[in-house]
Amino acid sequence: MSRKRAIRWTICFVSLVLLAAVSFVLELVIGSADISVSDVFSALTGNNSDKAAVTIVRDIRLPRTLAAALLGGALSVSGFLLQSYFNNPIAGPYVLGISSGAKLTVALAMMFTMKYGILLNSAEIVGAAFVGSMLSMGAILLLSGRVRNMAQLIIAGVMIGYICSALTELTVTFADDANIVNLHNWSMGSFSGISMDNVNVIAVIVLAATAAAFMLSKPMSAYQLGESYAKNMGVDLKLFRTALILLSSILSACVTAFAGPVSFVGIAVPHLVRSAFGTSKPIVIIPASFIGGAVFCLVCDLIARMLFAPVELSISTVTAVFGAPVVIMAMLSRRNQKGSV
Amino acid sequence: MSGVILSSKELSVGYGKKVVVSGLAFEVSRGEVLTIIGPNGAGKSTILRSIAAQLPAISGTVSIAKNDLAAMSAHDIAQKLSVCFTERITAERMTCEDVVSTGRYPYTGRLGILSDNDRKVVHEAMELTGTIYLADTDIRCISDGQRQTVMLARAIAQQPEVLVLDEPTSFLDINNKLRLLSILRELARSRGIAVVQTLHELDLAQRFSDKLLCIRENKADRIGTPEEIFTGAYISELYSITSGTFEPVYATAEAPKVSGEPQVFVIGGGGSGIDTYRRLQRQGIPFAAGVIHENDIEYPVAGSLAAELITEKAFEPISSESVQKALAVMKKCREVICCVNEFGTMNMGNKKLLEEYERYSKV
Amino acid sequence: MRMVRLLSFITAAALLSVTGCEKRKDTAEFDIKGSMELKYSEQFRVDYCENGCSVVDIGGAKYLIVPEDVDIPDDTTGMTVIKQPVENIYVAATSAMDLFDSIGGLNRVTMTSTTADSWSLPVVKDAVSSGDIEYIGKYSSPDYETLVAEKCGLALESTMIYHTPKVKEQLESFDIPVMVERSSYETHPLGRMEWVKLYGLILGDYEAAEQLFSEKTKAFEELSVGDIPDTERKTAAFFYVTSNGYFNIRKPADYVARMIGLAGGKYIFTADDLSVDDNALSTMNIQAETFYELAHDADILIYNSTIDGELNTIDELIGKNSILADFRAVRERNVWCTGQNMFQQTTGAADMICDLNSIFTDKADSAELTYLHRLD
Repeated sequence: MSRKRAIRWTICFVSLVLLAAVSFVLELVIGSADISVSDVFSALTGNNSDKAAVTIVRDIRLPRTLAAALLGGALSVSGFLLQSYFNNPIAGPYVLGISSGAKLTVALAMMFTMKYGILLNSAEIVGAAFVGSMLSMGAILLLSGRVRNMAQLIIAGVMIGYICSALTELTVTFADDANIVNLHNWSMGSFSGISMDNVNVIAVIVLAATAAAFMLSKPMSAYQLGESYAKNMGVDLKLFRTALILLSSILSACVTAFAGPVSFVGIAVPHLVRSAFGTSKPIVIIPASFIGGAVFCLVCDLIARMLFAPVELSISTVTAVFGAPVVIMAMLSRRNQKGSV
Repeated sequence: MSGVILSSKELSVGYGKKVVVSGLAFEVSRGEVLTIIGPNGAGKSTILRSIAAQLPAISGTVSIAKNDLAAMSAHDIAQKLSVCFTERITAERMTCEDVVSTGRYPYTGRLGILSDNDRKVVHEAMELTGTIYLADTDIRCISDGQRQTVMLARAIAQQPEVLVLDEPTSFLDINNKLRLLSILRELARSRGIAVVQTLHELDLAQRFSDKLLCIRENKADRIGTPEEIFTGAYISELYSITSGTFEPVYATAEAPKVSGEPQVFVIGGGGSGIDTYRRLQRQGIPFAAGVIHENDIEYPVAGSLAAELITEKAFEPISSESVQKALAVMKKCREVICCVNEFGTMNMGNKKLLEEYERYSKV
Repeated sequence: MRMVRLLSFITAAALLSVTGCEKRKDTAEFDIKGSMELKYSEQFRVDYCENGCSVVDIGGAKYLIVPEDVDIPDDTTGMTVIKQPVENIYVAATSAMDLFDSIGGLNRVTMTSTTADSWSLPVVKDAVSSGDIEYIGKYSSPDYETLVAEKCGLALESTMIYHTPKVKEQLESFDIPVMVERSSYETHPLGRMEWVKLYGLILGDYEAAEQLFSEKTKAFEELSVGDIPDTERKTAAFFYVTSNGYFNIRKPADYVARMIGLAGGKYIFTADDLSVDDNALSTMNIQAETFYELAHDADILIYNSTIDGELNTIDELIGKNSILADFRAVRERNVWCTGQNMFQQTTGAADMICDLNSIFTDKADSAELTYLHRLD
């Protein structure tokens, strides 16, 4: 590896880590309650006697910050996996219909339980979203064995997304206004109200899945040359495909379940990271995407919270405003390359 | 290093249940180059992919060093066999060195990190193929020819015992074609690698192969050395050539003969008439040629293009019979072109021919 | 529809079997010495305990109101404890705000989930604009930091909160008692207003609330509509036109429909017409032709302006949907429109019924109506 590359990668990684640290601290320190920076830190370390401040910092801001970082990372890694595998720059965590499936089961759960007066707690909504995501994923895995090429798999994913959306709309037709509003709120995504318990679950799932994805770096690299070459280099294509779909689905399902569908992070961040590092090597880009996604979501969440406080913008609104131009730029710059090989 | 490294037994290949080629039985030894030729759609690529373990065989076996390919793990196969296909690769932001480095994957650890030895092998492969100067260049920013060579370097870096290539010279200009095939030849010889490839360029197949496998009508038609294969009308039959002719000795093709009554008579010899023959063919004018010795360099061309040809036996001076024959044909033509300038012992007869013509035309 | 039901059932069953239903906990028991007298409300009840506390039961959820001078009992399992004095109340149930105001309790409310612009009650609007009551975001994503920093003493939510259980759980985790009011489920319109007694109790001023309630319902109780036979009642429809062209009407057991009945009129839609249960509450969307079929002969039309603004002329009404021109009530110019404060002015329920009564007994033009106006 050339020295130039080594230097570039080092600088990029250091910058990412610094950005992550800064945005993490900002998320903790900025909020609608007026707490000084030193008070925030003392609340974290347990040296603060002001009960309200401690509660705010530890039970409101800290879980939210951790969740934004972890889920942002999860989305980016999921997006990168799918973009690499499908060799498609606009593939994202939801291209396989994961969030549509989640939305459908959440809608069904909400409607059914309301009608019969059963009360859902938040863990059950999370469960519903997970079930929906996994059902979509199951359908994709079944189809992946039968389609002839990967473009067909994307089509299958998009179609599954459409079917789920249509069924959701059908459900909504028979729902009360209240339910409709709530489903809409849920589907716009939010990091608000995430508790430390949630964060523990998220951390386990996201970190485990990301580590597993990192272990897939080698077959992914091989796959970047195409299926024939990957096969020749000893990659078990079927296993690889299953693992990849599984991991990316778990990551995006986790986000959808706890924060609702958050758009664009999974598409935009891998592009940014790849441009910055000048490479697509999974062994570099997977960790870089994770940190990049964390930074992106932390910053977007900060904006979503504070821009029009106390009204909170939905996180998808903010990520789209920042994310869409990135995707456009990425598309334009791709055309300028000397064509694909 | 010698000895059979790759062999097949009653191999049938195809897709799903459809058999494309059956009854394949061949052997390739270390250091040998086997080229598969045959018409389009004959199934050459299918065979190649089956040998490369990319496509399961329908029946029969392929063995590397007596181990059945179907029983080997993908990892073991990867260390023994590498491929080089012509399909466009879809790499993004990979440098040429990155691409060649992937060839080391069957030897690296869990995360695919290259050891010093791996890096050395990669460097060697790139130097051997003359691509080392492209190491840091993005693979998408180089010419097709350079890219093909880099892919070859990748295949070499995999340190295979069998190298399988599908039309490796497709996008290359003549210089690069020769370079690539020379490298393959050298590789085979010095490292004892068995090379199996398909080629469309018959002239290069003839010159760079140890053995040729000809596929026709879903079967292995013939297998043999270039000398055995490139004889007589075999190639013409194999490819069902109708719009031209194929000359087996030099493995060259000529444009179709213009038939009909000859309008021009060409006096050639020693290769002087070749340009004229071709020009007349381009102009669509049927011509006659004579008197050409059977060992003359222009004999094959004349034979392919002339509507009528008067010949003389090799090493014999042109006989007066031949001259008479030529005169008879010449009288039918409206024009005579004499291409040859020097008249020696052997072709004195042509000088007479020319003199006869000059006398005749003055009349 | 059956398929959807089946799928919902499977999903919910799967969920519930996995996470377990809300188990019935053993709730603490107290010695009761009496109950709150309620004339019209059915959605809540209050039991007074020997120890001075009050146990409030709203739809099965139990709340224990503990007076300032009484210690919180040791065993309060299954109950949400509300310790008086209750300060810094967060009101996310819009209909409750008017009730608080009517008993002078608005100054104890410091946070709300509705913006100043969305309030039509002038007192409340001013309070929110000036910052006396702070807008802290929608009910589905309130600003927890403010709630904690302000030491919120009670979060008063509507049943919408059940759609975002995360919020309720978060609030409870910060030791903020959450009370979910169910006044919109009251079948009798005055039942909604009677909740003022509950809020009075919470604020520690039950007598004022009781007195207010008696005053407000006096005029209504003096109406004699019970003896008007069904066939002589004027028929009325209450509706608005939605943004995608449907007609949104009240279901037959909805409190607006009841108000019409109590005022001496007859709500024109029956449960059979609409294929709904007899007890169906709130609203539903129906197609224009169904509305026409069922209501074109109604005596009175009342347009609900709270969603998309007040109408003043019949032409504006016809502008919403041209078929309305054919309706008898339109031709006879018996069309009325609500004021925007109708749902927020909970204390005006009785007055509203009196307004309606005026319309139904043809005394509308002479009397002054507070909540309705005729379209010209």
